[in-house]
Amino acid sequence: MATRFGDWLDERLAWRQVWQAIFLRKIPKVNWLFTLGSASLFLAINQIVTGILLTIYYVPTPDHAYDSVQYITTQVTAGWLIRGLHHWGASAMVVVVALHMLRIIFHGAYKFPREVTWFTGVVLLLIVIGFGFTGYLLPWDQKAYWATTVGTRIAGTPPLIGDWVLRIVRGGEELTAITLARFFGVHIWVLPTALTSLTAFHLSLVIRIGISAVPKREE
Amino acid sequence: MGDDQQINRRNFMSLVTWAIGGLISLGMGIPAIAYIIGPALDRTRTQDWVRLGPVSKVELKMPTLFKFTIQRQTGWIVNEEEVSVYILTENGRDFIAMSNICTHLGCRVRWIADQEEFFCPCHNGVFDKQGKVVSGPPPRPLDRYEVKIENDQLFVLGG
Repeated sequence: MATRFGDWLDERLAWRQVWQAIFLRKIPKVNWLFTLGSASLFLAINQIVTGILLTIYYVPTPDHAYDSVQYITTQVTAGWLIRGLHHWGASAMVVVVALHMLRIIFHGAYKFPREVTWFTGVVLLLIVIGFGFTGYLLPWDQKAYWATTVGTRIAGTPPLIGDWVLRIVRGGEELTAITLARFFGVHIWVLPTALTSLTAFHLSLVIRIGISAVPKREE
Repeated sequence: MGDDQQINRRNFMSLVTWAIGGLISLGMGIPAIAYIIGPALDRTRTQDWVRLGPVSKVELKMPTLFKFTIQRQTGWIVNEEEVSVYILTENGRDFIAMSNICTHLGCRVRWIADQEEFFCPCHNGVFDKQGKVVSGPPPRPLDRYEVKIENDQLFVLGG
């Protein structure tokens, strides 16, 4: 029964070929360091799922942000778990993505023909840092407020354009409701769109080109 | 699973991978469902006796409107909510308190003195003086509150 349905679907979707290409592709003999990319993907999925769940209760305005986060953490069933997974998953994401990058550097895996994969990876790293920066403000507590005050002030340090950058990031001279709203918008719309589309491209390149072997010492 | 299908290293690893994936999905999925439906299952409505005012304010044989406010906690917000009740007495001793919420779909009814009936503007529901359905779509009479009188003061059990 299951196989017959599988055959029926396969005739229309060729899903076995897709499955083969993604999960049963040939790879060189590698080690556990090569799982860091998959670990990043797993953490990204965790962030997406828990992040979507958090938006069900979170309200991004100065008069509700803090209270709604407290409500999620202390009142909603399993809210502490969902927020905890998103909070710690965010830190884990930065760490694992950075380790993934180091592995690519030390193995020289960014070389021909994988330069484009590398460049998309660099942009993905910047996106992850952007997630961290914008997400840090959302709980709207003292730490969030002052960290973003300092962070945006740092963005304002370059000569000539600094003041202009500071005003664009904050949406005005001060850290206000406008700042919170735009950080929220960037955090849940702009960055997720960029992350998912670039990740799809990154992965398609990994699958198309195949992964590089562990470099050998001689020659 | 029998003698004909032997378990080799590859099958075993695939099975373990699926099992771990399934466990993670369950570990995420069950709390996620609890998280979404949790507040919907909260029924923490407390009922208290609310003082409406002196009995003398109720007109004889005529539904009289009383309003009171209650505090209600919804999520992280505490709201003041205004509640309206119609009080009716035929003899000055026995009182009934009716909700002004139409039993059809929750619009507010009002007393039309000329016609001696409650009227709901949303779908033309009509109730008589006692709150019984006269015409229109309402499925049951107007809801009632418990009433008590202490020291000539009128109380209803609301909240």
